[in-house]
Amino acid sequence: METRIGIFLCNCGGGMKNIDFDAVAEKVARMPGVTCVNLVSHLCLDEGREKMIASIREENLDRVIVAACSPEFKEHIFRQALEDAGLNGHLLAMANIREQCSWAHEGDVTEKAVELIKMATNRARLLQPLERKELPVNREVLVIGGGFSAIDTALHLSRLGLRTTLLEKEAVLGTGTGEWQSLHGFDNSSMTAAVEGDRNIDVLASARMTAAEGTIGDFTVTITREGEEISRKYGAIVLATGFRTELAPTSTLKLRTQAEPISGISIVSQEQLFHMLHNSIVEAKPRTIGFMFDFSDENSRFPTLTTLNNALAAKNKWGSEIYIFCKNVKVDSEGAEKLYREARECGVVFLKCETTPRMSMDNGRVAVEARDVFLGEDTVIACDLLVAEELLLPIAGTETLSSLLNIRLDSRGFYQDENVHLYPVASEKKGVFVIGWCRGNLDMGRVLTDISSVVMSVHGLLSSGKILVEVERVKVDPQKCVACLTCIRVCPHGAIQLVRVDGDKEVAGISDLACDACGICSAICPAKAIKFQGYRDEEILAQIEAIGES
Amino acid sequence: MNGCIVAFCCEHSAYPAADLAGRLRLHYPESLRVIRVPCAGRVDVIHILKAFENGASAVLVLGCEDGACHHITGNTRAKERVKYCNMLLKEVEVDGRPVAMFNLSPNTPHKFVRAVNEITKIIKESGR
Amino acid sequence: MNSASRIVLVVGSGISGVASALELANAGFDVYLLEKEAVVGGHAASFPCKATDVCSKCSACVVSDKIKQAVLHPKIRLLTNSAIRKLSGEAGNFRVEITQQPRYVDEERCIACSLCTEVCPTDPKAVYPPPAEGAPFSYILDEALCLHFKGEKCDLCRENCPTKAIEFDRKPQEQELSVGAIVVATGFDVFDARGKGSLGYGRYPDVITGLDLERILNREGCLRLPSNGKEPRNIAFIQCIGSRDEGHGYCSHVCCKYAMKLAGLIKYQVPDTRITIFYIDLQTAGKGFAQFYEEYKAKIRFIRGVPVEILRSEFGELDVRFEDISQGIVCRDTFDLVVLSVGISPGKNSWDLARILGINMSNDGFFDVADPLSTNETNVDGILLAGACQGPKDIPDSVAHGIAAASKAMEILSESVGRRVTG
Repeated sequence: METRIGIFLCNCGGGMKNIDFDAVAEKVARMPGVTCVNLVSHLCLDEGREKMIASIREENLDRVIVAACSPEFKEHIFRQALEDAGLNGHLLAMANIREQCSWAHEGDVTEKAVELIKMATNRARLLQPLERKELPVNREVLVIGGGFSAIDTALHLSRLGLRTTLLEKEAVLGTGTGEWQSLHGFDNSSMTAAVEGDRNIDVLASARMTAAEGTIGDFTVTITREGEEISRKYGAIVLATGFRTELAPTSTLKLRTQAEPISGISIVSQEQLFHMLHNSIVEAKPRTIGFMFDFSDENSRFPTLTTLNNALAAKNKWGSEIYIFCKNVKVDSEGAEKLYREARECGVVFLKCETTPRMSMDNGRVAVEARDVFLGEDTVIACDLLVAEELLLPIAGTETLSSLLNIRLDSRGFYQDENVHLYPVASEKKGVFVIGWCRGNLDMGRVLTDISSVVMSVHGLLSSGKILVEVERVKVDPQKCVACLTCIRVCPHGAIQLVRVDGDKEVAGISDLACDACGICSAICPAKAIKFQGYRDEEILAQIEAIGES
Repeated sequence: MNGCIVAFCCEHSAYPAADLAGRLRLHYPESLRVIRVPCAGRVDVIHILKAFENGASAVLVLGCEDGACHHITGNTRAKERVKYCNMLLKEVEVDGRPVAMFNLSPNTPHKFVRAVNEITKIIKESGR
Repeated sequence: MNSASRIVLVVGSGISGVASALELANAGFDVYLLEKEAVVGGHAASFPCKATDVCSKCSACVVSDKIKQAVLHPKIRLLTNSAIRKLSGEAGNFRVEITQQPRYVDEERCIACSLCTEVCPTDPKAVYPPPAEGAPFSYILDEALCLHFKGEKCDLCRENCPTKAIEFDRKPQEQELSVGAIVVATGFDVFDARGKGSLGYGRYPDVITGLDLERILNREGCLRLPSNGKEPRNIAFIQCIGSRDEGHGYCSHVCCKYAMKLAGLIKYQVPDTRITIFYIDLQTAGKGFAQFYEEYKAKIRFIRGVPVEILRSEFGELDVRFEDISQGIVCRDTFDLVVLSVGISPGKNSWDLARILGINMSNDGFFDVADPLSTNETNVDGILLAGACQGPKDIPDSVAHGIAAASKAMEILSESVGRRVTG
């Protein structure tokens, strides 16, 4: 059947003076298949749109070209006009004759405008309608982790009516979070109690995820608990696995183990100091305490915050003399500058050094030798207790989990690729989210923000049980697909899996929910089996063919 | 094709940058023909070669900044393809037909114009 | 529109307000996005992309992306040129009286054809396009410049407008909105660098602020000296101007990063430019920054210590006096451009808004939170905070905070619906 193409030329109220619209209309009318050419003064306003709708109906058009301003801002208006006229909105092609033609050049650009319209027309001939459908999604959420951010996320989602499973590798919830949790005033036990009393939250402790398949709305997860394998289905997965700390290699002296008595010589971690301050009976109060941070890792905020909190607590409880050795104090988080001032006002001494201080043992004390930039001379301070510099690292198993879910890590090995479009909590795979410390070292305020963000995102995706999408926008032709797996390997959004068709044949299948319509797969497919509606090879090549025709 | 420059523009970056250039009335050679693509990663070797077959004097592939691709790897795949095309063209001894990849951001109209001017200069120098 | 419990008012259309509005609209809420200026986008919309060969994670592109989405979203209604006058009611059922100053150019009808600007006889033009990054793309008529408002008979623009979008006799409009929750996202003002007179801002043209530099690079795409249009060879950045001092008991979070990224961009464009950054403590934390810091350390001279005085030599160079702490001596050095890395100050109109809404202010002048562990919630149930109006934030943090505010608003509204059903 012959296509009936309607071209709508908009002169933007006369604003495009370097285009001769009558000449354009005359030239483009001669193209094959063009049923009518309408010159309209301002197509995007109601009156223009009405004319367009009337003309589509009258002329019984099946393809529409709009030659006007950029599709960036107005394409949706014209698509809607097509829908209103009873035509599928995807049968529209736009020629950007304003921003990228009239405005971009000084002289007469009538010829260029004609060519742009020809390109759009060539493409339009090949366009096909796209259907929108509501696809069902599983409303259950898997939250991996049993620390503060995992628990809080589950509690919030429960309040909004979404069921979650908390998957914790340890035997109980809330381990490993004690240190900072209490630093920031959280009550661990009341949170775990709230989880126990919540019928929307299912806790799987001593369990790990060992396999994951599927895409957003339909993940099948294998969980291994005490040798037993459980298979469950979820609509979304949230990673909230936290971080671990390790003594920095610059702290050359051995870290004391927790089993040793608290008195005696000591180089301790922040967490150990915290327990000494809050939980243990200390035989002899340390008179001098040294802290170190920001030498081995200059990109973390957390060491500054823990140091300031611990130093203030030690000053208040023990009245110790406190020396803090650091390169830069990281105060770019909520309230940090105030803590820093408070510490200085109560006599905590900050020694800022460009190079890592040297440490040695001296009569049961740790002597720290540093070159203070302000004094410009070497200072030696003998500490009863030295709180060593710690590195914040991804927890063990981060790589395994990331490869199970097929998501990328950042340059420091934490979850979430360093791509600004993913911040704050998205991963490149739809339906998989990363929150809190497992996506990088944050501070408490930012962790809380992450929790709220992920609650919003998960609720938005799953709450209604269905998502409206354009179906089969990018589609594999099962006849051509040879299951070479190339597309599965390259899809940045993990949207392609093998599916069975016609009995036993396995071919690549694209999930409409997970697909983000980039077309990387269709460019790379060696069998040319993947069609991206609107950007098929034919459609792109047809545009190129129109160039220079006239 | 009378020496046109065909530019494949990613709809997340280069396409809005080109629009902004227009809004700011930053002028560039009229020979530019923009083809809008959903991601630079959609551009295939065949598309680039077809442009040359039709007589284009240069092809630009314009995608997001390295590390800021909306589809994570689309721009790096595009860069690989551009490299491959250059190799291919050299092998079949079609000289002086440059294919270049530029990375930009949606709010960089000046960078867009610089990219177009740069390729125009290369064409002029090669005497086409 | 639906009942008030399905409607949210977002006050301020900077990046956090826009992020908040978008999340709510996508979750099915109707959103009023109120903005005091004629265009949406706030500060962040005027920042340039700071990518070199690679993206520097400045997030400026995220801003233009989100603004575009918000302007096009069918569930978001823009109220530009608007301000809140009065508030009554409670969470789930607020009534907000707003005043909208006339736009003279109807944003629905303006098609940005530029004919009005072409015929406007004044210099500078009284009717002009919005800034490149601003949305909606509707022209702006400046009452102060327009001859019509000076009592003259000129109506050339109105006559020439093909869509009859210009109306001079528009009056301020008042309306009452019924909303379930309010997200306050009024942002910040940059510190006024004239407050540090000895640094010469406002007196020496080549002493500029970080915000000035952002805008120059965004507008021009390259950097030239304001005084003579030449390429600067030797640039100093001075950190902590309006942060971490007597009047500002906080770090602004953004300045170290923007200074280093801008320095990186300038070095990329003109590799032999010399750049020095004077600092107190370098704030190099944050996702995606570690990989750049080492590179910056190699390219930029860092000096610990903030200069207190800048004089201009007879040759027009800027003579910066500072104490080089690592050497323990007082030194001087000359630069042809000095960038004052001005910090984030509370919005100038914050007090008025706080009084109308009944929300508390912190000692620093930002809006205060009810609980330090929940940075979105104010003392008034149903009024939430988003972005830098609560405290300094960079673009990713503002986006995250905006989404978090949307999340809290959604929770409040689903609870208030629940209460009404059960009660």
